[in-house]
Formats: sequence, structure tokens, C-alpha cells
Amino acid sequence: MKAGIRNPVVKIIFYAILVLWGLSVLYPLLWTLLDALKDNEQFLLHSPWALPDMPLLWSNFSYVWNKYNFNQYFLNSIVVTGGSTLLGLLLSASTAYVLARYRFKGSNALYLLYISSMMVPFILALIPLFFLMNSLHLINTAIGLIFVYASSVLAFGIFVLVGFFKSLPKELEEASIMDGASHYGTFFRVMLPLSQPGLVTVAIVNVLNIWNEYIVGTILINDPKHYTLPVEIGIMQAEMQYRTEWGPLFAALMVTIVPVLVIYILFQRKIASGITAGAVK
Amino acid sequence: MKPVTVKWQRNLFIGTFIVPTFVFFCIFTIYPVVQALYYSLFDWSGMSENKTFIWFDNFKDMFRDPIVWRAVGNDYFLVAGKIVGIMILATFFAVALTRFNFKLAGFFRSIFFIPNVISVVVIGVLWNFIYNPQIGFLNAFLSLFTKEKVDIAWLGFTSHTIWMLLPPAIWAGIGFYMILIIAAIQNIPASFYEASELEGAGQWHQFRTITVPLVWEQLKVSIINIMMTTLNGSFVIVWIMTEGGPDNSTQVMGSYLYQMAFRQYHFGFAAAIGVLILVLSLITTIVLQRLLHQETVELS
Repeated sequence: MKAGIRNPVVKIIFYAILVLWGLSVLYPLLWTLLDALKDNEQFLLHSPWALPDMPLLWSNFSYVWNKYNFNQYFLNSIVVTGGSTLLGLLLSASTAYVLARYRFKGSNALYLLYISSMMVPFILALIPLFFLMNSLHLINTAIGLIFVYASSVLAFGIFVLVGFFKSLPKELEEASIMDGASHYGTFFRVMLPLSQPGLVTVAIVNVLNIWNEYIVGTILINDPKHYTLPVEIGIMQAEMQYRTEWGPLFAALMVTIVPVLVIYILFQRKIASGITAGAVK
Repeated sequence: MKPVTVKWQRNLFIGTFIVPTFVFFCIFTIYPVVQALYYSLFDWSGMSENKTFIWFDNFKDMFRDPIVWRAVGNDYFLVAGKIVGIMILATFFAVALTRFNFKLAGFFRSIFFIPNVISVVVIGVLWNFIYNPQIGFLNAFLSLFTKEKVDIAWLGFTSHTIWMLLPPAIWAGIGFYMILIIAAIQNIPASFYEASELEGAGQWHQFRTITVPLVWEQLKVSIINIMMTTLNGSFVIVWIMTEGGPDNSTQVMGSYLYQMAFRQYHFGFAAAIGVLILVLSLITTIVLQRLLHQETVELS
């Protein structure tokens, strides 16, 4: 039983605030799409909310895709995001399972070490990371970026998955051990399938974060062959000072946003449960 | 099977599941953090191999550098502005979408979270266009009400430009905290609200006596989280929108670190700024914990 709001004036005002905020979120997205279909002249002569002239300049998209090499950057982003999400998941799930189910000397300390690393500002590690990757010859490589991203998502993954493994019933594992399965068999054949919801949640949150990551990418990659999408967006926007191609810039933003929007629409609930689980410290 | 082999198998399993992750974590997280503390004690231009150990001179230089102080001020300005802006709006939205019986509540919730799935770089570029003096949205909107065409360079003021960075930061942050607070409100037993409704309590009264005290933990976590992510990460949006300019007026600690390290190659000095960020975020966490803890006592 919920009373809602009794005073109709207050109700209308509150509703108006919600609608306004909703517009403030949706309108920039629509604006990005519309501006991606304009040429420079339309930017300068018409107001920003003017609809693009006919015929629509869909060529802006093919222009960034081919001439700006967004086909390459898109692929790079997929490889890096996919690779680091999988590696991060493998590393955090294995440790999380052991920390949730096995007691051994130092297991608590290890857990605390991972969790407290979330308190340390990542930017502090940025300079040494650059020199470390340089000496490992991992600058300008996808694998270097994958290693750093996978490592940066460990603490979150371990935190959420330890909680998740602990919430699973112990009986199935005990039965599996009784049947003579090894520890490995029990983990891979019994626990992993059971923990799929938790794994998916962690994976989705990581995919979004890694796909959007900018600063590490900028520092570890300076060869255009290996740019990810956010890195190239940053460079494109800096170039706009002397090379005005606004339409293509907005087309590039669309190319970057659309994949995460699709993931968001498909996995909304997972994302909400992921951030809720990750923030209850 | 002998007990020895059973134990051995258990240990082997634990080892193979723990060690790879830990080695990885040591190389790419712990080692860089420790190195950063070490670098902060050197005068080092990075490319040359000759590092000079100079004790705490970087820190002395840092405290004498007026830009560092301005950066700290800007950081805390953003922290305060974001805490106030985000907490008020996120709490309002969370309550409105759970307690007010609005139609379309689920729809609004989905929409409001969208900025959180978009890259900060994209958000920076979008807001740059809102503020753009020639083709920007804001000037075009203001021009509707004036005879002359408005051409204010919103990001070009030598003072107060940092204010312009607050709206994008708040806009981008709200959804995340709204989801957290919504989850906390949904954990409150419905009987609490029903009881107070029987007593004829209004929404405002319920908000003050039930919602706030029972989601206080979550509000506290949110406030501390906003502070930490701002001190650690606000520099990305600063870097995209102003690069700390004009004339270093929007510099925050992170952007100054980035500039010092990767533009001017003062790696030791930049590492010292990193240590400052770490120390300030730990101190502020403790202070906020204290402050917000007292509030709980007063409320209960």
C-alpha cells in the first residue's frame, strides 16, 4: 500500500522535474544522432536543435568508419574489452571460489588486501605502470592493455563473487566430492554452472567500464594502429581546434555509444544488481 | 587414498587457484603503487636513466607551487559540489521512483542511468558542444531571449570556469547513486510505511523518520564514494574539456599530475602529486566517516 503524493500541485511539479531530467538525458543522445547527419555549413548557419537537412548525410558514418579507421578502432576495442573481461573473470572467479570455500593461513589477509586495493587511487599507479609496460615491451600492444585492464577489475570481481559463492548451497559440492570428483572437477562441473548469474553480472559491469576507459589507453597506446575508441575520440576532439569536422565527430560518438547502449538495454537488471553488490562495502 | 595425498591435493588446488591471480595482481597493481611512492623521492625526467634521490624535495616544491594549491581547491570544490548536487537529486529521484506511486517509474529509472554507461570522454565532448561559443547549445538557447547573438566562451573565463565542469560531473554521476539508494529503499520493510500511514503521516514525515534513517548507511557509502571517485578520477573530464586551462584555472590534482608527467616529464614531481591524492583521499574518508557517523546517532 503506497499513498503516493496527495497534493496534486506537488505531484505535477515532481512529475515535471522527472520529465525534465529524462529529457536532459535523452536529448543529448538524439542530438548526437542528428548532428552526425549534418555538414559543417549546417552547424554554422542553423541552430543546434535544427533538424538536419535532406538528404541526410549518412556518409559521415562511412567517412569515420573508413577514413578515420574506426573499423580498426572498433575491432581493437572489442578485442581488448573481450580479452580483459575474460581474463579478469577467470582470475577473479578462481580466487573468489577458494576464498569463499577454503580456510587456509592468510586467506583473510589476502581477501582484505584485494578489497583495500579498491581504496587506492588508480592514478597513483599510472606513472610506474607506464615504465613497467615499457620495460616489458607491452607498450602499444593489445595484450599489454588487456593485462592492465584485467588486473584493474580483479578487486571488484573478487568482492562480488566471494559474496556470490558464499550464497550458494554447500550440499552440491559435498555430494560431488562424495562421488569422488576432484576439487577441480567440482569447481568446473558443479560450481561454475551454478554461479553463472554472478559471473554474468561481473562480466557486464566490467565490459562497460573497460569499453569506456580512456586514460590508461591514452598512456599505454600511442600507435594509431592500436587505438581503442575512447582514445581516438579524445584525439579527434583535440584535433577539432584546427580541423573542423563536426558531423564526423558526432558520428564517431554514435559508433562509441551504440554498443554500450545495446548492452545496457539487454542487461539492465544485471547491471543494477552488479553495482548494488559492488558498493555494499 | 592416504590422508597425506588428500591434503596435498587440497593445497595444490588452492595454490593453482590463488597464485596466478596473486602474481598478476602484484605485477600490475601492487608493484606500480609501491613504485609510485618510491619515485616521489626522486628528481627524474623519465627518459634518461639518471635519477637523483632528493629526499622530500618534490613535496617541498609541491607545497610551494601555487598551481598545486589551486588544484587541491578545485578538487574539493568539485567534491563539495558533486556531493550536494548528486545526493540531493539522486535521493529525490530514488524516493520519487519508489515511494510516490508514479506511473512510468521503471521507465524513468532506466533512462536516468544512461549517462553512467557512456564513456567520460564522450560526455566531455558532448558538454564541450553545449558550451561551444559559436555552435553551442547554451549560447543558441540564450540567443532566443536577446537581440544580439550570444557568444560567451563558457570554458574561457580565467576564474570560475571550474563551475562549468560541475554540471557535466553531476549529470554523469546521478544514475549510479540513484540505483544504490533505490536498492536500499526497497529493502525497507513495507510494514514500516504502512504503520506510519495509519497514523496519518505524510510523505515528508515518512521520508524524514523512516527513509533517511534506514538508508543512512547507503547515503554515507555514496557520499564517501563520490568523494573518492572525484579525487581519483575527476581529472578525466577536466582533461577532455579544458586540459586544466585557461591558465591552469581548472587544474585538479589528477590533471596536473598527468600534465607534469606526460607533457613536461617531471615524473618525480608528478608521483609526489599522486601520493598527495592518496593521502588526501584517505584523510577525507576518515573525516567524512566521523562526521556522518555522528549524524546517525542524532537521528536515531
